[in-house]
Amino acid sequence: MTSDGNGAGQEAIRFEGVSKHFGDTAAVDDLNLVVNRGEFFSLLGPSGCGKTTTLRMVAGFEQPTAGSVHLDGEPVEGVPPYRRNVNTVFQSYALFEHLDIEGNVAFGLKRSKVPSDEIKTRVAEALELVQLTGRESSKPAQLSGGQMQRVALARALVNKPSVLLLDEPLGALDLKLRKQMQVELKEIQREVGITFLYVTHDQEEALAMSDRIAVMDAGVVQQCGPPEEIYETPHKTFVAGFIGVSNLLPATVDGKGIKLAGGETCKANLPDDVSAGDAVHCSVRPEKIFLGSQVDKDMIALEGTIVERIYLGTTTQVIVDLGDDQRVISLEQNTDRSRADDRWEIGQKIKLGWYPEHALVLH
Amino acid sequence: MSENRFAHLMLLPAGLWLLLLFAVPLFILLLVSLGATDPAYQAVYGWNPGNFADVFDPLFAPVLLRSVLFALATVALCLLIGYPVAYYIARFGGRWKTLLIAVVVLPFLVNYLVRTYAWVAILSDEGLVNGIIGGKLGISESGIQFVNTPYAVIGGLVYGYLAFMILPLYAALDRMDPSLIEAGKDLYGSRWQTFWNVTWPAAFQGVAAGCVLVFLPSVGDFVAAQLLGGPDTYMVGNLIQQQFLENQNWPFGAALTAVMMLFLLIWMSIYLRSAARSSQQEAM
Amino acid sequence: MSTVAEPRAGRVSLPKARQGRRRPRDFDKPRFLRAFFWLFMIFTFAPLAIVALFSFNSTPSLQDFNGFSLQWYDEFLSNATLRQSLTASIEIGLVTMVVGTFLGTTLAFALVRARSRIARSSNLLMLFPLVTPEIVAGVAALLLFAQIGMELSLATIMIAEITFSISFVTVIVRARLSALNREVEEAALDLGATRIETLRLIVLPALWPAILASGLLIFALSFDDFVIAFFTTGESPTPLAVQIYSSIRFGVRPTINAIGTSMLLISFLILAVAVLLPRILGRKDEQNVLMGGDTV
Repeated sequence: MTSDGNGAGQEAIRFEGVSKHFGDTAAVDDLNLVVNRGEFFSLLGPSGCGKTTTLRMVAGFEQPTAGSVHLDGEPVEGVPPYRRNVNTVFQSYALFEHLDIEGNVAFGLKRSKVPSDEIKTRVAEALELVQLTGRESSKPAQLSGGQMQRVALARALVNKPSVLLLDEPLGALDLKLRKQMQVELKEIQREVGITFLYVTHDQEEALAMSDRIAVMDAGVVQQCGPPEEIYETPHKTFVAGFIGVSNLLPATVDGKGIKLAGGETCKANLPDDVSAGDAVHCSVRPEKIFLGSQVDKDMIALEGTIVERIYLGTTTQVIVDLGDDQRVISLEQNTDRSRADDRWEIGQKIKLGWYPEHALVLH
Repeated sequence: MSENRFAHLMLLPAGLWLLLLFAVPLFILLLVSLGATDPAYQAVYGWNPGNFADVFDPLFAPVLLRSVLFALATVALCLLIGYPVAYYIARFGGRWKTLLIAVVVLPFLVNYLVRTYAWVAILSDEGLVNGIIGGKLGISESGIQFVNTPYAVIGGLVYGYLAFMILPLYAALDRMDPSLIEAGKDLYGSRWQTFWNVTWPAAFQGVAAGCVLVFLPSVGDFVAAQLLGGPDTYMVGNLIQQQFLENQNWPFGAALTAVMMLFLLIWMSIYLRSAARSSQQEAM
Repeated sequence: MSTVAEPRAGRVSLPKARQGRRRPRDFDKPRFLRAFFWLFMIFTFAPLAIVALFSFNSTPSLQDFNGFSLQWYDEFLSNATLRQSLTASIEIGLVTMVVGTFLGTTLAFALVRARSRIARSSNLLMLFPLVTPEIVAGVAALLLFAQIGMELSLATIMIAEITFSISFVTVIVRARLSALNREVEEAALDLGATRIETLRLIVLPALWPAILASGLLIFALSFDDFVIAFFTTGESPTPLAVQIYSSIRFGVRPTINAIGTSMLLISFLILAVAVLLPRILGRKDEQNVLMGGDTV
């Protein structure tokens, strides 16, 4: 399931059979993963999937109950956080309230006994990187959320760690600021070239920023790969459902294709490990579904009734009922000047379809 | 070192101290309560459960009873006096609320002994009140005997522990939603009805806490009875003090202490259980 | 409010119930409560004021005030025994404050951070002194010292007072400690600080107001304490509270007024320090914050 990068010398982090149990529950279960040097790698999943626990094991705040974690090729069993060459950016920023910004950013350097003139230059560089030059003597209480996050980032990066760990750092920011910071973070990572291990539950965020994503659920990696691969070719129903919106139509394997619940058969690419009669899901992304007159003869076509249309500004969602409790969501860009209400009516019978290559059979 | 181990290390200094200097002495107390005195008036260990029977001897039982009665009277008076005060500040204090409650509590920060002495100075035969009555107003030549009465002792107890009633009452009343009273006014019409049906139940936790906080130390108090009362108003605290510092009958003193402690523990656990139950109900 | 026999055009008839309602609502005029409150204030402050007043009396009377004089304070402070008592009380307060704060703070830290059955039992052990009546505490301490053959003295008082102060400190410091953001400490560890350094540089600075407040509290409590000191005191010197008690047994005297008023002043002084000190030190922080730049 892992999609490796280059050879072992390029490995920033390696997880070998790592498990973490709290009592009887396994927060992380037999994790095998490699994060390459210079990568922007994201751990993506819902709350409780084990992504934060995994991060904390890299940082040294948790010890694995089985398996081993390797940093830069060396196992870090029993090594405390203050002796690991990694730094963390926390969701709550965790700035030191009683120190000013300079004190915060310089903290790690002082602990490493870096000479004071070097500290001054490096702090200045770090603040410039996050665009906070001139705020050295401010206190955290005076800063806005976004500024505090930048200080947290500078405070971690100034130590030039081999890996930067980010634990949902943008979670507390409002939408606009979050999108802006996503871009900035990506740029900073490119500029400094440090490996980023990023934890988030926001799949859009992960898709936007990452070189590779590991989707986790219940302590297990469901799929790992570049964003396009995760989105376009999910290997599991969970991944298809978690990343973006997906229509998941229950079906059974029928010869070379699948039979949908309503009885229609359609061609589909079947994965290798299914046989006739198996219960599967047919996954189609809403934007790959066409309605009405746009359905052409090469598509797999179905009939249904429109039950809802939702206007979202840039797009319109149309929900179609296919009968047998199946509902399909279709997404259209509003390139037309006319509004959605003009084109689709609730209760209207409609034809919908998709190209066979856009459908994935998952189980 | 892991954090958990470090934290456990921190447990040692105070943990050992409390174990050796608090838990062990209580254990010794129990042992001594079963002991006896030898002819040289030294306490020796032994098995004399009779000490506990002695506690309830007709000679001493009145003292125990009196302690409980005095304590109950103190609780009742503290409630009667403290409730209106706490109510007034909580409901009508406005933005001066915190200042008012602080000022109200201020006198009670003064040394308990000094406070009791204040009343002794005022109520004693050479004190201010008798001075006014006897001298200035010429009502009574010999003065009125205030001290050495149960009333003085109870008064002293009230003055000693009133703050323990006012503070929890205030906390409970302050936390109460004032719109409940508004609703009550509409529903019941009369002040008394509203109070009894709305305010009292809502703030009851504060009443319970205050009663316990006043009752517990009052039962064991001996300062008030000693300074404002006399042998006729002795409480169990005086009795205990006597055994240790005058009669040298330590085993009996220890037995008295143990019985008193047990008595209070029973009430404490009743209170804690009901408080836990009611906070569960609140949560629901 | 008119009684409406028949509704006039355009007017709504009022239901009978409303008509009977009292006019300005008596609820909102707490005349009785207000009077009671002020009466209460007089009755609680008056005794202390009277004690203070007569401590400055020029005659030994507690009934007639005959002029201002400091003679009783003079008598108080020139009496060697009383002076020793005063210093003894202060010593007890200081030692209890220092040792009790240390023990209570470490215990608070352990109770918040340690997870185990031992930690939970320790919590129970810590709570017990808070619910133990002082007389029981005093008696138990006395028995302990007798058992180990330790002679009663100031040291025995201090030991007993410390035992009972620990819980106060623990409860106060624990409340503050559990409110601290754990991630801040993790950040310190993450950036290279060892556990000791994190404690020193991050936790203690955040904790000191609680530590200071609880320290002052147990100073006041042990300085003023009577019952425990009474059972554990040696022959001489005895703390001031015990001294007052012995003196009162012999009858009231204005000297006692002087002692009492002095103790009163010391109590208020401690309170003032406890309230003002955080504000003064906090204001220094505010100054830096204000001059540091504009808030964005």
